[in-house]
Amino acid sequence: MKNVLIVDDTMFMRLSLKTMLEKNGFNVIGEAANGAIAVEKYQELHPDIVTMDITMPVVDGLEALRQIRAIDGQAKVVMVSAMGQEVMIRNAVMAGAKNFIVKPFTEESVIKVLSKV
Amino acid sequence: MSDDGISKEPMLEMYLFEGEQLVEQLEEIIIKCEKDKKFEMGAINEIFRIMHTIKGSSAMMMFNQIALVAHSMEDLFFFIRANQNVQVDFVGLSDMVLAGIDFIKAEMNKIEQGKVADGLGDELIAEIKTQLTKMKKSYEDESTLPAVVADPVANEATPKYYISSYQPSPDKKTENTKYCVKVFFEEDCKMENIRAYLVVNNLEDIVEEIYYLPVDVIDNEESAIVIRENGFLICFSTAVSYAEVESALNETAFLRKMEIDQVDQYPDEIKALHRRKEIRLDDIPAEVDFRPQLETVETSKDVDAGPGNNRQQNIISVSVAKLDMLMDIVGEIVISEAMVTKNPDLAGLQLEGFSKAARQLRKLTDELQDIVMSIRMVPVSMVFHKMNRIVRDMSKRLDKEVNLEIIGENTEVDKNIIDHLSDPLMHLIRNAMDHGLESKDDRMAAGKPSAGKITLEAKNSGGDVLIIVRDDGKGLNRDKILNKARERGLVHKAENELTDKEVFSYILLAGFSTNEQVTEFSGRGVGMDVVTKNIEKIGGSLAIESVCGKGTEIFVKIPLTLAIIDGIEVGVGKSRYTIPTISIRESFRIDEKDVTSDGDGNEMIMIRGQCYPVLRIHRMFNIKNSVTRIGDGIMVMIESDAKIACLFVDKLVGEQQVVVKALPRYLKKVQGIAGCTILGDGGISLILDAHGILARQLA
Repeated sequence: MKNVLIVDDTMFMRLSLKTMLEKNGFNVIGEAANGAIAVEKYQELHPDIVTMDITMPVVDGLEALRQIRAIDGQAKVVMVSAMGQEVMIRNAVMAGAKNFIVKPFTEESVIKVLSKV
Repeated sequence: MSDDGISKEPMLEMYLFEGEQLVEQLEEIIIKCEKDKKFEMGAINEIFRIMHTIKGSSAMMMFNQIALVAHSMEDLFFFIRANQNVQVDFVGLSDMVLAGIDFIKAEMNKIEQGKVADGLGDELIAEIKTQLTKMKKSYEDESTLPAVVADPVANEATPKYYISSYQPSPDKKTENTKYCVKVFFEEDCKMENIRAYLVVNNLEDIVEEIYYLPVDVIDNEESAIVIRENGFLICFSTAVSYAEVESALNETAFLRKMEIDQVDQYPDEIKALHRRKEIRLDDIPAEVDFRPQLETVETSKDVDAGPGNNRQQNIISVSVAKLDMLMDIVGEIVISEAMVTKNPDLAGLQLEGFSKAARQLRKLTDELQDIVMSIRMVPVSMVFHKMNRIVRDMSKRLDKEVNLEIIGENTEVDKNIIDHLSDPLMHLIRNAMDHGLESKDDRMAAGKPSAGKITLEAKNSGGDVLIIVRDDGKGLNRDKILNKARERGLVHKAENELTDKEVFSYILLAGFSTNEQVTEFSGRGVGMDVVTKNIEKIGGSLAIESVCGKGTEIFVKIPLTLAIIDGIEVGVGKSRYTIPTISIRESFRIDEKDVTSDGDGNEMIMIRGQCYPVLRIHRMFNIKNSVTRIGDGIMVMIESDAKIACLFVDKLVGEQQVVVKALPRYLKKVQGIAGCTILGDGGISLILDAHGILARQLA
């Protein structure tokens, strides 16, 4: 079972993802509401996969991705981002994001991406 | 608030909760920006982020119109964020965002009430788009400097190519196997170009060299279309086995079809690419820079210090319905504790150990009750800040300059009360703006600063919270009010004996309105009496002070909570009733002979020259075996809405704080009964509602 850290600034999105993931045999070991907490939690929990929102307060997803990758070069971070943020996704992918999920997402698409990571 | 909160789908509930919070946050930011006459970078980031979040959540919940409106606003602020020196029409922009907020609010309201969110945002979206186009155009016209790049892709004239970090060494090349792979993605998987890039990324560690077509996947969004139609061609050489190649390729998500061929030679188009790449590399080596481009992000990181950062870390949200249940149970525990420790069976027993344990239990239940109460307490700031918007809108339309000062916004009251506070306060603020404050010219003429001032203040006063709405306007006109009150037949006292306060309190009565003109905002038939009624419904009261020419102060006194009230317990026959202390004026014994009755048999008594109706509780609720002789019972004078009556009961039992419980659902709403409470001995006491009783009897 893969351990997942969910990073998103809205409870709504975290709950959506968590519900979908837990239904499909993923283990959600932690949640973070911004990039700064995400980096802390990453070091504490060592998740197999991180789902990372991009637009967040304090420290955004791209910066958090960079920091996490700096700590652990093997970190598997999947960006979760809305349509219209192609540029951000592109930057994230170039910064080492393993894959990305486009909001609004369906359970099917989330699982398709995360099961490949 | 709907009371079916607990049954709602958790996801929807979460969506609405967060959505409403975000919208209010946004409104606050906009109004602040407008006041400061500038949009700070932090604010722009925050607005962008909020719109972005609302868009995302709404799209997930399939509330497409909300998502579209939020999206268009997000675009607008994306542009402003990227082009910070762009000329912005603040007023127009604020109006537009506020219109968007109103739209989203209205839709969310519909959703909350279980209706279909059927509003169309087309017009609004078109307007926002026009604004964006206008802004872009004026920006291009004015700006002679090179634009701050919003979209790094758009400004890159020369495409860059991916080069494997694994440098090919010519002598090893011969041992490698060459592959040509064509990848097709699922339809509708979106952003095929980036997905293609991910395929290349996955291969990066195992290949010696790699070429692919189209080449500009990372920089050119158009390449997605090519990939969608023709597939993505990757050619590479590698030393690893076929199985490893296959497994690396299989990490690709949304893969529809993949053709893997081992080849001796790369196809011609790839060879051509190979040559071109070398030329390009010689030309502009410095341009090849593949570090992640984070300019746009970095700026946001530094300035992003808007309200509410980090706020989610130590806070969880709990549905009010659950808290109500908790409160209920704790209330019962408190009562059970009394039932056990003060059980009549214990009378006369010497139980040292028991008494000690009972004392400990009492201490803990008291603490428990305090904690539950404190959990339910919320600051009034949310309601107070809502008023900013009203002041803003009205000052624009009435052409009055008004500053709203908020004091003590951290004062807390029970959640149940907060929900009933917004409407009355809104009304008071509207009144102050419309009737209280004079026009600019009048103010100048009176030697006042042209900008009016409204103060909204909250503070604790004993067991209550006092909310004061103060304006520095023209004040109330005593004579005008008195004339009107006389006209309406509201004056029951010698006019020269009336204090100012008494005169002013006439405007709180039903049907009173001195403003001849019905304006857009106030005077829509509902007056101060509605405010009074709403405030009284939550156990509060209103008082007015005013000095002609200096301004008006309205004091709204509200209890901290609805769940616990101070009450006087009275006995009628075998039944017990609790009368809220707040509605009691006095209690007294009188003689049978003091009571007179009118032609219809309605009893009345004369106290200090005033005549009051007598209501016999035993008659009202058909109680048998009660005291019927006036001289044997006691009178309790109650007051609500300036109406007064005397309740006749058998005896006063005592004064106590009671936990209010709603009547069970199977009992129809009984006028005059506000709820019930469980007594220390396990009995039930009905809580009388003075307002209801008076309405019932005097109707």
